[in-house]
Amino acid sequence: MKNLMLHKKKILLYTLLTICCLFSLLFVYNDYNFYKETIVKVTTVQIVKKEKITDYYKNNDILYTQVLTGKILNGALKGKTVELKNQYSYSGAADNQYKAGDKLFVSLDNTSINANKNDSSASAISGTINGLKRDTYLVFMAVLFTVFIIAVGKKKGLFSLFSLIFNIVLFSLVMDLYLKGINLLLVCSIVVIVFTVFSLILVGGYNQKTFTAVISTLLGTFLTLIIAYIVMKVTNEKGVRYEEMQFLTHPPHEIFMAEILVGCLGAVMDVCITISSSIYELCETNPSLSSKALMDSGREIGKDIMGTMTNVLFFAYVSGGIPMLLIYLKNGFQTGYSFYMNLSLELIRALTGSIGIVLAIPLSLFTTVFVQQKFKKRSGLTR
Amino acid sequence: MNVIVVLAVILFLLMKIIGKEKGTKSFLSLLINFFIIYVAIILIAHNVNSIVVTILACILISYVSLFYINGKHPKTTAAFLSTLLTLVILFFFIYIIGSATRIQGFSEEEFEEISLYSLFIGTNFTKIVISTIIMSLIGAIIDTAISISSSMNEVYLHNPSISKRELYQSGLNIARDILGTTTNTLYFAFIGGYMALILWMKDLHYSLGTIINSKVFCSEIISILCSSLGVILIIPITAGINSYILLTRKQNLEGDIPFKLPQEINDKLPSEDTDKANPDKISIL
Repeated sequence: MKNLMLHKKKILLYTLLTICCLFSLLFVYNDYNFYKETIVKVTTVQIVKKEKITDYYKNNDILYTQVLTGKILNGALKGKTVELKNQYSYSGAADNQYKAGDKLFVSLDNTSINANKNDSSASAISGTINGLKRDTYLVFMAVLFTVFIIAVGKKKGLFSLFSLIFNIVLFSLVMDLYLKGINLLLVCSIVVIVFTVFSLILVGGYNQKTFTAVISTLLGTFLTLIIAYIVMKVTNEKGVRYEEMQFLTHPPHEIFMAEILVGCLGAVMDVCITISSSIYELCETNPSLSSKALMDSGREIGKDIMGTMTNVLFFAYVSGGIPMLLIYLKNGFQTGYSFYMNLSLELIRALTGSIGIVLAIPLSLFTTVFVQQKFKKRSGLTR
Repeated sequence: MNVIVVLAVILFLLMKIIGKEKGTKSFLSLLINFFIIYVAIILIAHNVNSIVVTILACILISYVSLFYINGKHPKTTAAFLSTLLTLVILFFFIYIIGSATRIQGFSEEEFEEISLYSLFIGTNFTKIVISTIIMSLIGAIIDTAISISSSMNEVYLHNPSISKRELYQSGLNIARDILGTTTNTLYFAFIGGYMALILWMKDLHYSLGTIINSKVFCSEIISILCSSLGVILIIPITAGINSYILLTRKQNLEGDIPFKLPQEINDKLPSEDTDKANPDKISIL
């Protein structure tokens, strides 16, 4: 009977989720009236000009001009035809090629609107393109992600989804606090503690395993921040190129330290939960294991994941610099200089994160085995 | 002293102390991977097809990260195979979503910075954005694959009579714990990288509509979601391939074994299992 109830609850939950997903997809597909900006759906595309260009550094490129005709989807002029001009290059570094079916944000040309009002036979309204409407794709991706994470992760997948959303909201609030003038590093430190406790409880449940993971994560993260801080102080930040953050109106140093703190948190958390989870899983499949055998197994797992975990951060960070690096290289800068200028912040983030990962291994191993042995003795069970 | 050098030295020492020989190898593999990316970028800058370069680089990177550090072991082979399979599946998906959303190149927010340079460099940035997304997730999927197969291997070593289905389930159990935190790792890594940009948007009071349709926000979210999808996809793939490799091999004990068993497994194998072995069955390795 109880099983049947659970089953019913599950079905209800999944139906609700499916409805939510379908509804949000339908919504973004038809949300034109919620935007104040005019949205135009492109119906035909014509290339009117094609021109070969060569820049100062002998890079060859092709410049296209296209004329798009489209229909207005919202506002007072709904249904009217619009003609738009767009220029784009083959490389497309800062411009876009548009295709039939694309939905664009457009600011309409006032004079052409007036002409249209007075004379219905006038030619199409003209305007300038402000950008592509991307929300449909974004929601589609989010729905896909939701479906997959629940299909594979089941209940835990759902929980990690919640923790992700919670983290996003919390993070947004933190930024507001900072803009109100509170010290960023202080706010971030508090948030790191909340993040850790909340995420790990949500993912791992309220139990001993989570408890050990929380303790080792916090130890690892703050130890890493301290190391990074000392290194930056001792070296007087030599080799840190803040140019990448030059658009900021806030001091980049403070923000960068906060970025390091937040950036390594996820990785440290990951190592800690992996090690404590594996050790508890080992205990479950074979309860008679000694603490020495557990330590050995844990150390083995730690060594295995160390290399690849550091790679996660390394690639996640370094790949972001590739587009700018290419611009530098193609603009005649020396290779070494280009790499140094574009990857210095990314490399520092990756290195501090990696230090956090390596530190987290012994920290979580000792904490987990220590807490577990203590618990075993106290309960008098050889679980 | 340069910050990067000091941090690298600290990392090297820590890895050496904590990981011993394997730690040193891990550090070296980081250097090798950096070199691979370096060569890949130089090749792309010389107008070699960026997608071909990326795929070759990814195969090399996963080979180095897995086999160089962990040695030739069934668990490594399983991780390698599942990484490649996942990459193939993801590639098509990223290609479609990357070209549809047109998140390539730079956004209006970055115009001030790039206005000094020539942007007509003849390299297709739609392909570059696909390469970038794949490069940013390759580390995460390799990591998930080896975490799962390594833990599954430990479970198997401590419990050699486990059935294929149980091992697969055990793999999924471990993976579910990893799943949430790996997506967190990626999420925090990206947040760490984009904190400045988020502040900037807040400073300028972007409306929600502007934010979710802007190139810079979309490209960030799509990178995170693609990486997370990779991490999710690789879980059942690795659990399946690994339980197949570990246990099919056990059944083949008396047959022609194309690779040597680690001593620990041999010691712990119950003898009745070897009696059941089917020498006609061919191992996939």
